[in-house]
Amino acid sequence: MATLWRRRERFLGVLGRLCRTVRALSGKNEYDLLVIGGGSGGLACAKEAAQFGRKVAVLDYVEPSPKGTKWGLGGTCVNVGCIPKKLMHQAALLGSALKDAQHYGWNIAQPVHHTWSVMAQAVQNHVKSLNWGHRVQLQDKKVKYFNMKGSFSDPHTIRGLTKAGKETIVTAENIVIATGGRPKYPMHIAGALEYGITSDDLFWLKESPGKTLVVGASYVSLECAGFLTGIGLDTTVMMRSIPLRGFDQQMASLVTEHMECYGTKFLKRCFPTKVEKLEGNRLQVTWKNTDLGTEETDCFDTVMWAVGRAPDVKTLNLDAVGVKTSSETGKIIVDASEATSVPHIYAIGDITEGRPELTPTAIAAGKLLARRLFGQSSELMDYDNVPTTVFTPLEYGCVGLSEEAAVQCYGSDNVEVYHAYYKPLEFTVAERDATQCYIKMVCLREREQRILGLHFIGPNAGEVIQGFALGIKCGATYPQLMKTVGIHPTCAEEITKLHITKRSGLDATVTGC
Amino acid sequence: MGWEEKQVRGYPEFVQTAQRYHGRPIFALFCGDKDAEGKSWCPDCVTAEPVVRKELHNMPDESVFIYCLVGDRAYWKDPNNEFRKNLKLTGVPTLLKYGTPQKLVEEECFKVELVRMLFTED
Ligand SMILES: Cc1cc2nc3c(=O)[nH]c(=O)nc-3n(C[C@H](O)[C@H](O)[C@H](O)COP(=O)(O)OP(=O)(O)OC[C@H]3O[C@@H](n4cnc5c(N)ncnc54)[C@H](O)[C@@H]3O)c2cc1C
Ligand SMILES: NC(=O)c1ccc[n+]([C@@H]2O[C@H](COP(=O)([O-])OP(=O)(O)OC[C@H]3O[C@@H](n4cnc5c(N)ncnc54)[C@H](OP(=O)(O)O)[C@@H]3O)[C@@H](O)[C@H]2O)c1
Repeated sequence: MATLWRRRERFLGVLGRLCRTVRALSGKNEYDLLVIGGGSGGLACAKEAAQFGRKVAVLDYVEPSPKGTKWGLGGTCVNVGCIPKKLMHQAALLGSALKDAQHYGWNIAQPVHHTWSVMAQAVQNHVKSLNWGHRVQLQDKKVKYFNMKGSFSDPHTIRGLTKAGKETIVTAENIVIATGGRPKYPMHIAGALEYGITSDDLFWLKESPGKTLVVGASYVSLECAGFLTGIGLDTTVMMRSIPLRGFDQQMASLVTEHMECYGTKFLKRCFPTKVEKLEGNRLQVTWKNTDLGTEETDCFDTVMWAVGRAPDVKTLNLDAVGVKTSSETGKIIVDASEATSVPHIYAIGDITEGRPELTPTAIAAGKLLARRLFGQSSELMDYDNVPTTVFTPLEYGCVGLSEEAAVQCYGSDNVEVYHAYYKPLEFTVAERDATQCYIKMVCLREREQRILGLHFIGPNAGEVIQGFALGIKCGATYPQLMKTVGIHPTCAEEITKLHITKRSGLDATVTGC
Repeated sequence: MGWEEKQVRGYPEFVQTAQRYHGRPIFALFCGDKDAEGKSWCPDCVTAEPVVRKELHNMPDESVFIYCLVGDRAYWKDPNNEFRKNLKLTGVPTLLKYGTPQKLVEEECFKVELVRMLFTED
């Protein structure tokens, strides 16, 4: 009886799929738009499309990390990226403010102590409220949400699988892939997967990670190492080559130089070879020091890999529909309209080849795509001059070209760099060292001196750069910036006063008020 | 075994009840007090209550539904009242799943789909 029943079910399943395929062929798909991936880009695209009265569905599924960490709707930024990161960065900044406060007359008993579990709980609660908020918004905008892992079975048909293994078939006229990426593990290093964590786990730890080794010298690495140091943990960054590859390297060196003064330890030109577990749960890491040609070891409570991120395209079964990916990165190749090699299939956000891996670009790309699909718009996403900030203890914000890129593009004779070392007013009374507070503006040298890039290291770099990004987007020139009146006393005003060129070789230290 | 309802008034009674049923799924609807005719001073609460009640059967087994009257208008308008301070309520009606960030505020409580989602999702 049971077998008969099962066979009947299977038969109905096949029938169902056949019917749907027929429907797909006849052009009658269930949804106008199906988005795979409910992160920054996917949610923005789905909600925008629904505003045009279209029938829209989103599939989102979080594969637990190898350590078993999982989370709710909203993608990387909300759960294991920007949001928890910035809040923990804030926790660290408050620690520095407590030190400054004594100089300003506050009596604060020393030493102050930070309790990880209190911070983590508060941050995690906020993230959970955002997960709920996204659910409410989708429901409110009439976007159908499936908590399922999606993969293609034909160009208009997605097979969704729930955690329990229940299958649902969804058909759609247009499909957007917005499945982002996940942290990589260096699989060739013994013990890496077994004993290491990644940023996917760090933000969800209930107890303090303790003495931590962060491997890699990317954004993610430096930001996490920065806030771990800031809340008082013994933190080491292991860096095999340069910090912040792709960023202006003078700025990147200042960022790491400041972190060293701040207390983060750096193991430079070192790469890990194995991780072992000792008694008492401590982890012993062995690495090669390429400068000295030696092998060294130390013990840590936590080892975090921040060696880059990669998309999970295997699950999507892209080969079945012919969506092309880059053989090098595995990311999906798209054109200026975010179209993949299959006309009605699009891709946005971190999964796409050659795009910045940032939340605001994923959101903007998603919205514009929805407007082009359903709102009679032809506006393309403009990926030029996207501002960004690295939230290290001393923040680094930038927009436009690095000095290296400008020189490469235009030649060093055609590029003028204005720069200044400045001291934030609030650092003076607090007796904080401002050695790395530095601003650099890269301009064309020809008469109108268009600004090509702006780089700022200092407090609130993100807040400083955001407004200037508008100017640069509008093609601002050096003389225009010089006509801009500063706001006194601020750090941002130093940008309006830049007058020393690198070429002159003059001292770039700003003095007095 | 289904679910049960508890009607309470004021913050202390709410807390007591929530504590008594600790460990079970607790949902709570906070509304403005009702007058002698049984009408709340808060018109949105009047709109929300039937919508919410119609969906109660969707609550998971063993749930407790606390229907809580927060007080009169003057008490509620006090920005330092205990509901606002301790439960971080920002408006009435509020429907929430106790101990989670899942809540619906004011007009959100009028929407059947949202109410059903609150009762059914974990
Ligand atoms: C530690 C860290 C800090 C960051 N900080 C910043 C910052 O400060 N500012 C900034 O702008 N950016 C930051 N980023 C980058 C930012 O988080 C990403 O660029 C952004 O989230 C990308 O959005 P997305 O829509 O492409 O993908 P995601 O937000 O990653 O969303 C993809 C979603 O798809 C789901 N999914 C994957 N496969 C499937 C499938 N087969 N079926 C169904 N669902 C699937 C995933 O689980 C996920 O929920 C940070 C990233 C990290 C890791
Ligand atoms: N504030 C923000 O806006 C923010 C914050 C975080 C992330 N993001 C985004 O997320 C993207 C991904 O960033 P990411 O930091 O994960 O990756 P990434 O930029 O690809 O950097 C990977 C880092 O790991 C190192 N590395 C790789 N393999 C290694 C190995 N086996 N052993 C030791 N080191 C190794 C690399 O060194 P080499 O240089 O030597 O290869 C590099 O320093 C970024 O492009 C960024 O746009 C944004």
